[in-house]
Amino acid sequence: MSSGWNDPRPMSPFTSIWRWHVTMVTSILHRASGMVLAAGSVLIVAWLFALAAGEKQYDKMMELLGSWPGKAVLFAFSLALFFHLLNGVRYLLWDSGYGFEKETANRTSWLVMVMALALTLGLWAAGYWMFEAFPGQKSH
Amino acid sequence: MAQLTLPKNSKITKGKHWPAPAGSDVAQVRTFRIYRYDPDADTGPRWDLFDVDISKCGPMTLHVLIYIKDEIDPTLSFRRSCREGICGSCAMNVDGRNTIACTKGVDELKGSGGVISISPLPHMAVIKDLVPDLSDFYAQHAAMEPFLRTTTPEPQKEWRQAPEDRDKLDGLYECIMCASCSTACPSYWWNGDKYLGPAALLQAYRWLIDSRDEATGERLDALEDPFRLYRCHTIMNCTQVCPKGLNPAKAIGEIKKMMLERMV
Repeated sequence: MSSGWNDPRPMSPFTSIWRWHVTMVTSILHRASGMVLAAGSVLIVAWLFALAAGEKQYDKMMELLGSWPGKAVLFAFSLALFFHLLNGVRYLLWDSGYGFEKETANRTSWLVMVMALALTLGLWAAGYWMFEAFPGQKSH
Repeated sequence: MAQLTLPKNSKITKGKHWPAPAGSDVAQVRTFRIYRYDPDADTGPRWDLFDVDISKCGPMTLHVLIYIKDEIDPTLSFRRSCREGICGSCAMNVDGRNTIACTKGVDELKGSGGVISISPLPHMAVIKDLVPDLSDFYAQHAAMEPFLRTTTPEPQKEWRQAPEDRDKLDGLYECIMCASCSTACPSYWWNGDKYLGPAALLQAYRWLIDSRDEATGERLDALEDPFRLYRCHTIMNCTQVCPKGLNPAKAIGEIKKMMLERMV
């Protein structure tokens, strides 16, 4: 049914009328964060290439990553990582037969979203704190 | 690739507006946006607006539909039978969620912008108005062979079952096959021809864990397929909407566990 609707009768509305559940949100976010992580792994490879290519190229890469757009990408990458990791635990629990009750699934959905955001902010706060605490390090 | 929007012949246009009769108590009037499709007309589906004085109807969404059919527009088509949540006929999408109209109180409906939408079960071929074609859904149910399969000779009296084994069927046998769960499932929307959907899988599990059934292996074999069972990604829409409070997502999880357990 996904490709081409050959029925002369109309298809009833689905995405346009559905009122979302929080479990639906975490499900689609799991997929989205997985895609961000796949793209992010390419970024890591690019960073390794720059590292291998020499000091000049590496400096250039670090300059790029240190810019505001670069930081935004890294922030999204870290957020996706934490979310995918935490939500992955939900899938592990489901695979062991736990957490299927409606209320539990709703609660764990909210929990992983809040925790992913908190851990990401924590990571960045820690990063900035380290940068402040060791000002001798060259800023890239 | 998943199709996110309606195909060309299914685009919904603006339809008629039926205002409440003059002199109605304004505080009691609620607006219902109802999906209409007439197979005998050349036009596609449309949204009709009905302003209904709900003090004139019973408390449930089905009462509103019956009121509209009786008092406003007799051409409105929908399925209904028992009007008490046991037959599953009046399953439809009310206020953005699948449910059976007969047990959904009008006071529970939030609406959007003051309008409550009612449409057929999602992503199905529409026969007329709120009546979807459930042939494939029933075929999937039949494919689960929803009956006791045995090889040992039949006992003189009945097949016996210990009370604790009987308890395992609670939360499974109550399914009324209204199709609310399956047509709530995005995986079923995108792959309804290959993925069995939550209702059929809950039915499969009901027989898989029946202590009297002797075809467990064959039943599991029939589900061992990249689509039939494993297209469940635990989106949980099925469990969220089941009007009987059942948990198809959990049943599917249990089947996945049985698959794994017989392999190790």
